[in-house]
Amino acid sequence: MKRTHIVGIIIIALAIGMIMTSLVSTSKYASFTEASKSPDSDFHVVGKWDKEKGTVYDPQQNANLFVFYMTDIEGVEKKVLLHNNKPQDFEKSEQVVVVGKMKDGEFQASETLVKCPSKYNDNKPVQ
Amino acid sequence: MQMNYTGEHVWAGATGHFFIILSFTAAILSAGSYCMAARESLQEDAWKKLGRLAFRIHSLAVAGIMATLFVMLKNHFFEYQYVWQHSNLAMPAKYIFSCFWEGQEGSFLLWTFWHVVLGNILIRYAGNWEAPVMTVFSLVQIFLASMLLGIYFGSVHIGSNPFLLMRQLPENIGLPWTKLTDYLQKIPLFQDGRGLNPLLQNYWMTIHPPTLFLGFASTLVPFAYAIAGLWKGKLSEWQKPALPWTFFGIMILGTGILMGGAWAYEALTFGGFWAWDPVENASLVPWLTFVGAGHVMLVNKNRNISLFSTFFLTIITFILVLYSTFLTRSGILGNSSVHAFTDLGMSGQLMLYLLFFVWMSVCLILINKRLRIGYTILSACLLLIGIFTGAKTASVFSFALLSILALGTGYHYYFPKEEKEEALWSREFWMFIGAIVLGIASFQIILYTSIPVLNKIIQVNFIHHPVEVIHHKMQQWFNYNGLANFASGKLAPEKNAIGFYNKWQSVFAFVVSFLVAFGQYLKYKDTPFREFSKKLIWPFFVSLVLAILIGYGIPRTGSLQFFLNELLLFSCLFAILANLDYFRRIGKWKIGKSGASIAHIGFGLILLGCLISNAEKEIISQNSGMDLKYIDKELSNSNNILLTQGDTLKMGSYYLTFTGRKKEGIYIYFNVEYLKKQEDGKYVSSFVLKPFVQLNDRMGNVAEPATKHFAYKDIYTHVKFAELDVPDDINGQDYTIPVAKTMARFDTAYSSNGMLILDSLTTHFSHKKYGLPDSVPAVQANLRAIDINKKTYAAQPVFAIIDNKVHSVDDTIKALGLKLNFWNVDPAKGKISIYLSERKSNKRDFIVMEAMIFPWINVLWIGCLVMITGTILAIRDRLKKLKKSVVTD
Repeated sequence: MKRTHIVGIIIIALAIGMIMTSLVSTSKYASFTEASKSPDSDFHVVGKWDKEKGTVYDPQQNANLFVFYMTDIEGVEKKVLLHNNKPQDFEKSEQVVVVGKMKDGEFQASETLVKCPSKYNDNKPVQ
Repeated sequence: MQMNYTGEHVWAGATGHFFIILSFTAAILSAGSYCMAARESLQEDAWKKLGRLAFRIHSLAVAGIMATLFVMLKNHFFEYQYVWQHSNLAMPAKYIFSCFWEGQEGSFLLWTFWHVVLGNILIRYAGNWEAPVMTVFSLVQIFLASMLLGIYFGSVHIGSNPFLLMRQLPENIGLPWTKLTDYLQKIPLFQDGRGLNPLLQNYWMTIHPPTLFLGFASTLVPFAYAIAGLWKGKLSEWQKPALPWTFFGIMILGTGILMGGAWAYEALTFGGFWAWDPVENASLVPWLTFVGAGHVMLVNKNRNISLFSTFFLTIITFILVLYSTFLTRSGILGNSSVHAFTDLGMSGQLMLYLLFFVWMSVCLILINKRLRIGYTILSACLLLIGIFTGAKTASVFSFALLSILALGTGYHYYFPKEEKEEALWSREFWMFIGAIVLGIASFQIILYTSIPVLNKIIQVNFIHHPVEVIHHKMQQWFNYNGLANFASGKLAPEKNAIGFYNKWQSVFAFVVSFLVAFGQYLKYKDTPFREFSKKLIWPFFVSLVLAILIGYGIPRTGSLQFFLNELLLFSCLFAILANLDYFRRIGKWKIGKSGASIAHIGFGLILLGCLISNAEKEIISQNSGMDLKYIDKELSNSNNILLTQGDTLKMGSYYLTFTGRKKEGIYIYFNVEYLKKQEDGKYVSSFVLKPFVQLNDRMGNVAEPATKHFAYKDIYTHVKFAELDVPDDINGQDYTIPVAKTMARFDTAYSSNGMLILDSLTTHFSHKKYGLPDSVPAVQANLRAIDINKKTYAAQPVFAIIDNKVHSVDDTIKALGLKLNFWNVDPAKGKISIYLSERKSNKRDFIVMEAMIFPWINVLWIGCLVMITGTILAIRDRLKKLKKSVVTD
């Protein structure tokens, strides 16, 4: 067997390995209902912050705990405990993505991605 | 009905429009004429002259567009949407450049501009290659110029015109205000623009984008040469002039990427210089393939093999630049990146350009005329199917498959293959392996970055597909193979995506740095193994010992002693030392001739700096009090700590104190003082960092970290949370809303700065002192306040009843800023009620912050400078040789 063939085989093996590890990701975009079904795995849940229920952040007590209620795309609302600081400008969020696990009816999040009204694409000066 | 609007600077828009149309048509003319010139034999000079003229007109038009846009930004013509959207009056003039390229149109212009500059240089120096190379340039320019056209066909539009008035925007047409002739004066919104995204108000943003775009633009030069080579049947001659350009591009693009890293490190809140953000990845990937391309060109120049790889890597680099543009500008990354652009409705157009250049390249690689025609016909059919049946993805996929097939065919039939296998210990073999590893590394990055694209494809084509059966079958198969998330089209990036990338890329970095170490010691054709291993033995063992010492010798907190990191540490040191040794022994310390060695040393240093500063990164603000692990062992994410004004907390070897905030314009600075404890127990100030928040109502406030640089480490401090709407009178005399406290005798109540004890109640006191008649029933409370320093203060508020109405006489403790209002007595329970209010300034300010130490990060920055210098030297050397060869020719 030629050396180039060996190299070729290694490349193909690596490429398949990479494709598989990328696609067999441990996380997935899901709803709260789906997340509660498998409490051991991480999920990304996209939703909206329930403004009426407000937020709780008391850094004097715990700077790494921020609590709010979020309604996911299916309309299910859950309490979210974010184990990190309150994102600056959270109140302005249009959409929130929380990453974490569902435990006992509450979502334990380790990260959030807060989408504020678009920074690039708002052309309406007069409503 | 024609309306005359007052105050509009219509001339500016008209000028801009004119230049856009001119640049577009001139590019078409230039492409056409150059194409003719390239087809004709060389005597036919007229076409070439016309092509040149057209390209120069195009250049002037591009300059005109830019100048017009600058004038509009400078003079605040807010009736134009680009100006309104990207600038405002308050912004300092130095950010006008950032405004210019904040929008997509501006950044396309910047890109176009660099192509124009490079094109004009090529017109001068490309000689015989001018016509075919400039044909490719002009073709690309046609596409880029069309991105600014802004022509509408119903709902479909080609390009986005930066010279549109606000009232001309499709979503505004017909709105009532557009019918006011004096809308500019009447509507307050037009008095000022929306302003620049606060993230971009940073000096790096004035130099990073132009450098990066010059890097992107310079990938076009080798691409154009490669295409010209295929077209004119000069399969290897094109590389000689393309080689210096390739390394020039590698240097500039590399610099641009690293500048982006420096910006992220300094101004963004990634907590590092590299976060594998999709936008970062999109620029890194073409750089990796570009480096691969440059190196196989070197192989080909010396040994005349790997010809196909030179074409493939050169072409794929340019295609990847286009793909990156598509990725970051189509809005598809919206959920996964901090700074991806939103969709301007041009993703279809970008996609078409991408496919066009894929088609063009693959078509030319099929050297045979019949095959070319066949491939073109099939591609055209797929395009039509895609457009008219709506099965877009299916046809794009078929096109991709067809192109891969065609590439294979081209390679198999028309590219020379070495009869004899090259020797194991030859430079060309290992350089080729290096290029392949770079290719695989970029494949891994681009694949994982493209997850949102994959999701979209799955969602559009399978989930909502009429033929559910297919999807069902597929899902079963995928489930079986653990690909359920992928099949559902909801694949999310891993929680620790950075770690995932790091793991894969460390392996590649290990291989590449190892190759960098011994590559130069190998000769072309063959090297006796003993000879070259003897030369390498010293660098090898010295770096091995050093790696073990650094990794295991010193007690470490980070992950440097992990096996993979240790391996990488070794290979980086090996790369640095081996190249240093090469520079000494073979280069004889001659800087001019050792560009390659120097660049490789720089590359090694960059990797080393990345590795150490990442692996040994120490988060010193970790919250020691709370342990979240009881909730979930992965949730020990307690990197943030609360720092109250005046308190001193230990972090790492420092003691931190937050001494207060200061507001300057739109910036709020938080003064964080780093103290060292002396032996006598006194704290001495080491340095002060001022991380800040830039206030921006419309686009969101942006926090910027502050970093203290030492020679061997950086201390990074970032305010994660602070109350921003603190009233200005925090230092004033106002009191907070009173809080009710019910107290029996000897009860205590707490204020924010001390405690209150009710000592006694008495009715025997001088009524006169409080202005009360003697006959009035009144009670006096004797309260004692004790502050943190155990100092005692007294207060005696009085409760009286005059004409059946409560009459209280307040007392204050000035030193503690407390006000006491005695408002009720409950004789049955023996309790009294006190309203306690505090001066607002008593409430101590606080921040939630994160502090990290990046050790030896300067190795990374020094490495950048060394690599850039080395590459410049190598290019200079190449150019000299090229000149010589031209002279001897």
